Amino acid sequence: MKKLLALLLVGAMTLSLVACGGSSKETTTEEPAAAEEPAAAEEPAAAEEPAAAEEAIAGDITLWTYPVGKFGDSATVDGIVAAFNEVYPDVNVTVEYLDYQSGDDQVTAAIEAGTTPDLVLEGPERLVANWGAKGKMVDISDLWDADATADITANSAAVESACKSPDGAYYEYPLCMTTHTMAINKELFEAADAMQYINEDRTWTVENFEKALQALKDSGVETTGVVYCGGQGGDQGTRALAMNLYNAKWTDAAHTTWTMNSAEGVKGLQQLVDWVDAGLLSADAGIVASDELQLFANKTTAMSFCWNAANQATYAAQVDFTPYPVAFPSEDGVPELCGGIWGFGIFDNGDAAKIAAAKAFIKFVCDDPVQGPASVAATGFFPVRASFGNIYAGTEDEERMTVFAGFAQWLGDYYNVTLGWAEQRTAWWNLLQQIFNGDDVQTAADAYVETCKAATEAASAN
Amino acid sequence: MSKINNVPARSKALVRRETRSAYLFLLPALVFFIGFVIIPMVLCLVTSFFNYTMGDFTFIGFGNYIKMFQDEIFRIALKNTILIVVVAVPTVTAFSLWVGASIYKMHAVTRSFFRCIFYLPVVTGSVAVSVVWKWMFNKYTGLFNTVLMGTGILDEKISWLGDERFALWCIIIILFTTSIGQPIVLYVAALGNVDPSQIEAAEVDGATKLQTFWKIKWPSIMPTTLYIVIITTINSFQCYALIQLLTSGGPNHSTETIMYYIYYQAFKLNQYGYGNAMGIFLAIIIAIFSAIQLKAGQSND
Repeated sequence: MKKLLALLLVGAMTLSLVACGGSSKETTTEEPAAAEEPAAAEEPAAAEEPAAAEEAIAGDITLWTYPVGKFGDSATVDGIVAAFNEVYPDVNVTVEYLDYQSGDDQVTAAIEAGTTPDLVLEGPERLVANWGAKGKMVDISDLWDADATADITANSAAVESACKSPDGAYYEYPLCMTTHTMAINKELFEAADAMQYINEDRTWTVENFEKALQALKDSGVETTGVVYCGGQGGDQGTRALAMNLYNAKWTDAAHTTWTMNSAEGVKGLQQLVDWVDAGLLSADAGIVASDELQLFANKTTAMSFCWNAANQATYAAQVDFTPYPVAFPSEDGVPELCGGIWGFGIFDNGDAAKIAAAKAFIKFVCDDPVQGPASVAATGFFPVRASFGNIYAGTEDEERMTVFAGFAQWLGDYYNVTLGWAEQRTAWWNLLQQIFNGDDVQTAADAYVETCKAATEAASAN
Repeated sequence: MSKINNVPARSKALVRRETRSAYLFLLPALVFFIGFVIIPMVLCLVTSFFNYTMGDFTFIGFGNYIKMFQDEIFRIALKNTILIVVVAVPTVTAFSLWVGASIYKMHAVTRSFFRCIFYLPVVTGSVAVSVVWKWMFNKYTGLFNTVLMGTGILDEKISWLGDERFALWCIIIILFTTSIGQPIVLYVAALGNVDPSQIEAAEVDGATKLQTFWKIKWPSIMPTTLYIVIITTINSFQCYALIQLLTSGGPNHSTETIMYYIYYQAFKLNQYGYGNAMGIFLAIIIAIFSAIQLKAGQSND
C-alpha cells in the first residue's frame, strides 16, 4: 500500500512538473531585421485642433507594439500618445512593448485568456493572415475611406491588398513600408574588382553575381556570404535570394497556392546548392539572420542577405567599411523584392467605445498631416501615403533613405498574407537545411509545398 | 467517573482544533497548488481530447493521440528526447558522484571553491549560458573551431549546431554542464553525513577503499542518488530552453525534443489540443520512468 502510494505520488509529481515545465519560455525566435534599429525619429509635432465629433471619444485603451523602429522605445511612443491626448484628452492609452522573441506567444496567450489589447502594431502576416483570419480582429473598413485608399494605392496597390482579408475585410491600417534588400562590403568588392558586376541601379544578374562570388574567392575572401537557415529570423532574405535567381513566384497571385516547387523555384534552390558545393557560398543551419549580420559587420563575410534601411542606420555607425545596399540577383536583372508593411489593427474585445477610441488613435497616428509623417519617421521606414512625400527631405537621413527609396520600384507581391504563413516559415528553413544536407531539391521542394498546402487548408478550415 | 470520561472528549476536541489549524495553514499553498497545478493539469487532460485551436474547439476523442503517433516529427522528437535522457542521466549522476566523492573531504575553502565552479552554470541564466556556448560553437569565429583548426585536428570548420551529426550531442554537452551543479552539491552534503564510525569500523576490519565506498557509503547516499536520478530524468525529458535558444529543433529536426515540439505546436501553430495531448503523453512517460527508478532504488535499500 505504501509503495502504491509512493508510485502515485511520483506520478502526481511528474505530471505537475510537466504541467509547470512549459511555463518557462525563453525564446529566441527572431523577426525580420526590419525592426532592428530605427532611423532617427522626429519628435511628434503639435497636433491639429480637435474637431467637435472627436470630443465624444473617451475611454481607456491598450496598445501593444512590436519594436517597429522607435515604436519599441517608450520615450518616442509616450510623445506620440501625448500628442494624441492633446486632441483626445479623454482617451487614456496604456502601452506595452513586445519583442519579436516572445511577442507572438504573449498575444496568443492573451487571445486565449481574453485579455488582448485594443490596438496592436505589426504587419499583415500577423494582423490579417493570422489573428484576422481567426476572427480575432475588428474589420476596420471604415478607416479605409476613398481618400485614404486612393492615397495609399497611389504609392503601392500591394499595401492595400495586403491589409485586406480574402473576404474583403480590412484588419490593418498601414503606417509605413519598406523593401528588404541585401548588402555588400563595398571595400571588399572593390579590392576583388567585383563592383563591375553590379549595375548602377544596384541590380545584378545571376551570371554577374556568380562572377562576383568567384572574384571574391580569388581575392582571398574565405566566406563570401552565408545562406543562414538555423531558424525563421530574417527569412525574408533567404526567400528573396532563392526566389529571385530565376524569377520564381512564392505563391500564385491569389495567395492560395504555394509555388516554390516550380521549375524556376527548384532551379534557384539548386543554384544555391551548386554554389555552396563549389565553395562560392556557404550555408549554415547553425545561424540565423542576426548572426549573419554580425558576420557581415565584423567582415567575416562580404555580403548580407538581410538588409534594409533600418539595418543600414544601425550598422553604419558600427562598421569600418561601407555597407552598400544592392538588390537580389536575378536572371534578367529585374528583381522582385520582399516588402515590409507595418500598421495598426484592433482586437475585437466587444466594446464599441474602446473600438471607437482605438480607431481615433489609428487615424491620428497614421493620417494626421503633422503626426502622420512624424510617426513614419519614428519607424525609420517609408510612408504608405503618397501625399506625405519625401518625409526625410532636408534631414540627416535623406541620403540614406533616398538609396532605399530607389528600391521601391522593384517591390514585389506581398505574399506573406497567405494562410498558413506561420507553418510555412518553419517549413522554409527546414527545406534549406534539407537541400544543403544533400537531399534532392525537387523532392524537398515538393515536400515543403505539401506542408504549406496542408497548413493553408487547416487555416482555411478554422 | 465523569472526570475520566471528559479527558478523551477534550483530547478529541484538541485534535480537531489542531487538525483544523493545520488545514488552515495549508490552505494558502493548497489554493495555489490547485489553481496553478491541479486545474491546469485537468484542463490539459480534458482539452487533449479536443481539436482545440484558436478558432475551433471540437471533441475528437483520441484523435490527437492517434495523430501524435502518426506524426513523423513527433517520433523523431521522442527518439531524441529518450536519447538525451539515456545519455544525460547516467553521465550526470556518475560524474557528480565522482566529483562529490573527490571534493567532500577537501578543506572547506577548496570544497566551496569547487562547489561554486560547478554550480555557476546552474545559477547563470539559460540565455547567458546559451549565448556563450553558441559563440564557442560558432563555425566562423568560435573557440572550438579555432582551437581544433589551429592544432590541426580539423581540416575544415564545422558548424557544430548546424550539422545533424553533432547538434544533438552539443545540446547534451551543454545540458550536462548545467545539470551537474545541484547533484554535486547534494552528493558532497550526503557523503559528509555518512557515519564516520561505520567507515572506520570497516577500515579496521580491512575493507579496501572501494569496498568501503560500495558497502558503506553507497547505501548511505542511496536516497540522494535516487532523488538526483529522478530529478535529472525529469529535467532531461523537459529539455526545451536550450533547443529554443540554440537550434529551434534543427537541423532537419535532429534536435527536436518533445517539450520543444509541444511549444511549437501550441504557440506557433495554435494547436493547443494537440500540444496538450503530447504533454499528457510526456507526463505519463516521465511518471513511468520515475516509478521504475523509485522501485529500483527501493529494492536496493
